[in-house]
Amino acid sequence: MTTGADTRTGPYLELFAGRGAGGPVGARRQQAIERFEAAGFPGSRDEEWRQTNLGPILRARPVPASGQVLGDGGALPFLYPDCDSMVFVNGRYAPAASSPPEGVTAFSLADPAGAGADLLAEHLGASVDGRASCSADAGVHPFAALNTALFEDGVALGIPAGAALERPIQVLWLSAPSADAAAAEGGAQASIEVSFPRLLVVAGENSQASVIETFAAADPAAGGYFVCPAAEFVCGAGSVVRHTRLQADAAGAFHLGFQHARVDRSAAFDSSSLAFGGALVRNDTVALLDGEGADCTLDGLYVLDGSQFTGNHMRVEHRQPHTTSHQLYKGVLDGQARSVFNGRIYVHQAAQKTDAKQTNRNLLLSKAALANSNPQLEIFADDVRCTHGSTIGRLDEEALFYLRARGIGFEEAHGMLVHAFAREVTDKATFEPLRRDLEARLFASLNGVRSNGQGG
Amino acid sequence: MLRVSDLHAKVEEQEILKGVDLEVKAGEVHAVMGPNGSGKSTLAQVLAGKEDYEITAGSLELDGEDLQEMAPEERAHAGLFLAFQYPVEIPGVGNSYFLKAAVNANRKARGESELDAMDFLKLLRERATLVDVDEALLRRPVNDGFSGGEKKRNEILQMAVLEPRLAVLDETDSGLDIDALKTVAAGVNALRAENRAFVVITHYQRLLNYIVPDHVHVLLDGRIVRSGGSELAHELEEKGYGGFDGARAEA
Repeated sequence: MTTGADTRTGPYLELFAGRGAGGPVGARRQQAIERFEAAGFPGSRDEEWRQTNLGPILRARPVPASGQVLGDGGALPFLYPDCDSMVFVNGRYAPAASSPPEGVTAFSLADPAGAGADLLAEHLGASVDGRASCSADAGVHPFAALNTALFEDGVALGIPAGAALERPIQVLWLSAPSADAAAAEGGAQASIEVSFPRLLVVAGENSQASVIETFAAADPAAGGYFVCPAAEFVCGAGSVVRHTRLQADAAGAFHLGFQHARVDRSAAFDSSSLAFGGALVRNDTVALLDGEGADCTLDGLYVLDGSQFTGNHMRVEHRQPHTTSHQLYKGVLDGQARSVFNGRIYVHQAAQKTDAKQTNRNLLLSKAALANSNPQLEIFADDVRCTHGSTIGRLDEEALFYLRARGIGFEEAHGMLVHAFAREVTDKATFEPLRRDLEARLFASLNGVRSNGQGG
Repeated sequence: MLRVSDLHAKVEEQEILKGVDLEVKAGEVHAVMGPNGSGKSTLAQVLAGKEDYEITAGSLELDGEDLQEMAPEERAHAGLFLAFQYPVEIPGVGNSYFLKAAVNANRKARGESELDAMDFLKLLRERATLVDVDEALLRRPVNDGFSGGEKKRNEILQMAVLEPRLAVLDETDSGLDIDALKTVAAGVNALRAENRAFVVITHYQRLLNYIVPDHVHVLLDGRIVRSGGSELAHELEEKGYGGFDGARAEA
């Protein structure tokens, strides 16, 4: 590592030093910070990171998010009905705003006790400390390691074996940066409020659960803050875990997320990632299909405008026979927005009869928007079916003319086509309040896209 | 109703229409026949306002209004309808949702109140029955995965729902078996009215056995070389387009 990297990692190491490493996962936190220190932040030559400009985040001095306290009912606009919920403000559990699920081991990581401590000791951080790691070439994920070392709070959910939860569990990660942090621009070094939300879901054998993560800002006009979440899913044999990740951060926010799923025999992990907000957003996903017949579905949608950047880096490892994975990521880009989709499917030698499909489709609405798509297959088994495809295109002029020839005006026709493109992903949401919310956010984003990006 | 005068149009520097004259009055059915490459589809697309074509000379008027000044949707609002030769597949947009949006966009533009879901559904079912379209097609995305015949029927359904004043049918008969052809023709005939006109563009005479035109025009190399009554279609069937080369030389 160069000395330049030291000045960037230093402030984060100081955060750790000021906090200590106690509790049931203290040793693991210590290990994580050491790994982070050894690896440093990725440089411009790091293949997985060279298209992500970390400069704006790393130039700022990190301070723990602690700003505002949320007023009564402040979380309500973000919470769905018919749902259990756990609310976190600036990475801290807000019990008064939450209605945690019953029949489930659900607790804040800041205060684990009894069975909770055991759950943590067994599972937390497994994805970054090597117990459930990827193949050797995957390396250390610096931000996942940072999260393990630095999270203050978070949620752990243990779904008992055989339990089928009827209601989804919504985990709301609300950022409420203080006003003076945003106003620190122009000083010697601007500071940035940072939080490290942590989610652990351990689904027992043959259990079923649906978890909705919502990342949002109490004030959508909030200035820059940095949210660095990590989520781990341990899907026991035969379990069915649905996960929705709605990223609706403030326009100026930085968001570097990591999620990791280990899927055991005949289990299914179904994850949907919807990205609407933020200035610089990454979401790195690792899915390990670790038992025969394990299945994962990874869907995503990103709707970008202005100078937004969103990167989705996927790694799916087929480690056992008869495992299946399906990925569908779609992007709508306007303005000078940029996106990166890096999808890697890795089929181990033992994983015969693997069925893997990966699709990334991008719709560019302006000349300056730019989408990068890099699907990659690495296959070491000989009896598999793997397909991948990516497209980067513009709106279908023929379809636009067809709609207009029927009397539908340009704006409405344009909106219909973009919406039609995107809804392939949003329509998969089966929980009605979520589907309606996604629909509304899609419409709102597209209206913004349309008014900015029509261009005549 | 429609007046096309000395229309010249080109695409990518190639002149396709080289002086087309055509006048269509309310209540009439005109057939425009011609071989491949004669400019039939270009004429249809130019009428509907496709931007790929550049009009270099001549004029296009609908009820005295200059069509060139109007966007495609404005032409539709004025009562023009084009049944596409190749209807476009639009995955993700439901057929009945699309039709409702189209009906209401037209109503709004004409200063009429929009139809609510119930009234629209009633209209849609009635017209679907009229043109023999299976209700299952209404629930599918627009033309997505439709067979050739289903696409053409869907065009006729749209026409029946939108009730245009001037309908241009661009080779709606091509690729249809005889039963589908009869259905399409029956749909058109059911919509024939004193205040409505049709321009039926076709390569073959067969459709004209079922939709009997008032006027037949032969389009060759970008010009209408001959016009006549419905008997002209039969003459074409016998002689083929080769017999009109001389006429083109005179024109």
